[in-house]
Amino acid sequence: MLQFAEWLQATPFSVAIQSAGWAIPLIQSIHILMIGVVFVSILMVALRVLELVRVEQTFGDVWRRFAPWIWSGLVVMAVTGLLLVIAEPVREFTSLSFWLKMALIVVGIVGTIAFRRSLAPAALTQHHEFEFSAATKAGAVATLGLWLAIIFLGRAIAYDVEVWGSLSLVASFAG
Amino acid sequence: MDLISIVQQVESSPIGEWMRTSLKAMPVVESIHVMAVAVVFGTILIVDSRLLGLLDKRRPYSVISAELLPWTWAAFVVAVVTGLLMFSANATTYYENTPFRLKMLALVAAGLNMAVFHLFSARHAAEWEFAKSAPLGGRIAAGLSIAIWTSVIFLGRWIGFTKGYDFAIPEDVELDFDFLDISFNYLRGMTEELIARVG
Repeated sequence: MLQFAEWLQATPFSVAIQSAGWAIPLIQSIHILMIGVVFVSILMVALRVLELVRVEQTFGDVWRRFAPWIWSGLVVMAVTGLLLVIAEPVREFTSLSFWLKMALIVVGIVGTIAFRRSLAPAALTQHHEFEFSAATKAGAVATLGLWLAIIFLGRAIAYDVEVWGSLSLVASFAG
Repeated sequence: MDLISIVQQVESSPIGEWMRTSLKAMPVVESIHVMAVAVVFGTILIVDSRLLGLLDKRRPYSVISAELLPWTWAAFVVAVVTGLLMFSANATTYYENTPFRLKMLALVAAGLNMAVFHLFSARHAAEWEFAKSAPLGGRIAAGLSIAIWTSVIFLGRWIGFTKGYDFAIPEDVELDFDFLDISFNYLRGMTEELIARVG
């Protein structure tokens, strides 16, 4: 893995991103803008499940309003994230936070798709007559916690040893 | 007492000391800052999209703002508190830092833009809030708001790359890039190209 990271880091494309001093802050900024778009879109869907916002709209309306922003924002984050990995593969691959973040993103995306597929037609089309189960509401809160954890892990990549101590992969790769 | 001595006191305060020496304080505070910034930006984007008539056209403006602005303000408070904590760690360095100063200016601009919007367009919201979009003044405020908050995020990320730590510096990278200079050069190049085409 470290060999692959070192090879990737030496490729011309990676070197091009690294040596343009403005590229990494610019890509990271776009990544953060998209965190705003995606996280708040998920927040709105979750708050609708909890009946705290947009109660006059059906869940289907709310989902159609925000789902395109969630998916397209995630695509932009995947692209900018990939560019950051190509630019600094050793930094990412030797970080425990990076791998935990990737795992939680898979959980978040699979969970969101599974949730959407499990919805009965009544959940999408009715407003006041329909109320989500307590389990679904708990799931909405858990989903917010999951994405907050993903945001934390993203920032923690820069502080792997500080956050994880002896669990950090930086030490094991260096040793 | 002048500003610089306040900044020095902030840096030498126990909180500043704790932010510098505690290993976990900086990553935790920075993450919370990112979460708060995300909520501020995302909620503002929804309100601005409504003013521009891009989304939620059938929902009155007052409903959208009443529903979202408490989230925006709560997250903004969290962003300010975590921002101050980060500032305290290296206050004198940030005080001198150009992206930091520009970010503070951008935040003032965001506040002024909001104040003007509330004094003029939002006052008469009852007259237009069921329309597809806000009147021109409201649409300009919304466009400015998106532009200013985007630049706040860009400048914020830039601070991290100009203050010296949090970044393993490769030897051959030009770190002291002057992004104002880069931006001006880029704009100049675009203008020259435009003139060349028109002429």
